[in-house]
Amino acid sequence: MADPMRIRAQLKDGGITEVRVLMAHIMETGQRKDSAGNVIPAHHIQTVTATWNGKTVLSAQFGPAVSQNPVMNFSFKGGAKGDKVVVSWTDTKGDKRSDEAVIA
Amino acid sequence: MFKSVDVFATLRPVLSPLPSRERARVRGGVRNGIGRVSSSISPLTPTLPCRPRSRLHALAAPAAARMRAETPPTPRKGRGGSWLVASALFLIAGIGFAEPNIKNLGRPATPAEIKAWDIDVRPDFAGLPKGSGTVARGQEVWESKCENCHGAFGESNEVFTPVIGHTTKDDIRTGHVAALRSDTVPQRTTLMKLSELSVLWDYINRAMPWNAPKSLSTDDVYAVVAYVLNLGGVVPNDYVLSDKNMQATQNQLPNRNGKTREHGLWELGGKPDVQGSTCMTNCAPKVTISSRLPDFARNAHGDISAQNRLLGGLRGVDTLRPAPTEFVPLAARVSKGATGSTSTATTAVDPAKLAAQHACLTCHGIANKIVGPALIDVHKKYAAQKSDAAKLLVVRIKSGGSGAWGSIPMPAQDHVPDADIRAIAEWIAAGKFQ
Repeated sequence: MADPMRIRAQLKDGGITEVRVLMAHIMETGQRKDSAGNVIPAHHIQTVTATWNGKTVLSAQFGPAVSQNPVMNFSFKGGAKGDKVVVSWTDTKGDKRSDEAVIA
Repeated sequence: MFKSVDVFATLRPVLSPLPSRERARVRGGVRNGIGRVSSSISPLTPTLPCRPRSRLHALAAPAAARMRAETPPTPRKGRGGSWLVASALFLIAGIGFAEPNIKNLGRPATPAEIKAWDIDVRPDFAGLPKGSGTVARGQEVWESKCENCHGAFGESNEVFTPVIGHTTKDDIRTGHVAALRSDTVPQRTTLMKLSELSVLWDYINRAMPWNAPKSLSTDDVYAVVAYVLNLGGVVPNDYVLSDKNMQATQNQLPNRNGKTREHGLWELGGKPDVQGSTCMTNCAPKVTISSRLPDFARNAHGDISAQNRLLGGLRGVDTLRPAPTEFVPLAARVSKGATGSTSTATTAVDPAKLAAQHACLTCHGIANKIVGPALIDVHKKYAAQKSDAAKLLVVRIKSGGSGAWGSIPMPAQDHVPDADIRAIAEWIAAGKFQ
């Protein structure tokens, strides 16, 4: 199981909720070789989903171009203090991770 | 003379009200400096104050040493000597007279100034001001002042290297950051390297934010430190960092045991960082030629030795012949060349070709003057005088000379083999230029 995500959700002016997520992941591209010359198998996040009170506000597909430990910022309209934002990802090995934050 | 000492006496108390910690540090540095001065000046001023305390004193003392050095040695006799001493006294005393308000130079530092300067926090937390800050407050400060450069989670690598990352729960348990010993991480983060919490506190307190250092309040510094540690997973979200629990928090740092002092940099008898033992015993490796010109390429440009400038020494080897298998020193090569050309000189009967080969004819025309005189003129001058003109010409060719034919000198031609010189000299002396 990967390290937990760091999620911060804040209500800004105009009813916009800004969410910042730091996902701890190795994000191996599958194009690198180790010192013995063998290809390091790809291991990266494939899909990311963010929900607010059960409603999907963001879905994304990540590929090998995304950096290690990616940071993602997004915002959506609506949201109130105390609402829950849940972010989850799945990676190429089938690992899953889901973390939640409360809008502040 | 004593006037200058009085100057010291007035300067001395200027910085004396330092806090005890500071004073100890200053005194240690000054004592060394004044040691030099007092040893050189004491024959003249035995009453020099020997317990200086201030940094200013350290600055003034070398100046006194210079004055002493410029003072002429003690006169042995005569009025001239005493005049010198008198003038030297006047010079030294004049420093005091030229600055009548020397007593007004500087003023004691106010306690407020000292408080503003004296902000360092030490690993034992000496100098740490009282205060406290929460992780939540630290997040507020971070997002308003730190995030632009360091990223929302301290992860940014855009302006500075990341503050947070690559520390694990296991590191916090052991006090050693495992990632420091592997090459799995692209770079070292601040939290990976941090072994003293006081350093983080002190650095943020005195240098951050970058555009407005020292603008954070003491409590905010505590808060930001707490937030940084929270980002690194060292302290929980509801942590309150204060001067009370700094030591307890220090004991949670991932790299708290990562610093070593058992080496030469810290301990006099410690193990040095660099081990030069191999080099100290057997430094010079055996020279092996790792690159050479292949045989087929040796004469790719013809005979290199025949492609020299017309003036100066002959360089290069005959590349039409195969390369020597053994290394031949330069001296041996030169003598070989000389003996080799002796045989060619005896067989090559045409000295005119020799003269052309050794570039004599560049400056000397046979019948006309170019830079040097015409060879016919040389022949006429020397052959008419002496029977052994050839010997004289050998010397002239070999060692050069000037004056006989004007001011333009003939350079020494000692690179030309002796046999060739002799052949050319005899050719000129004979005067049979076809």
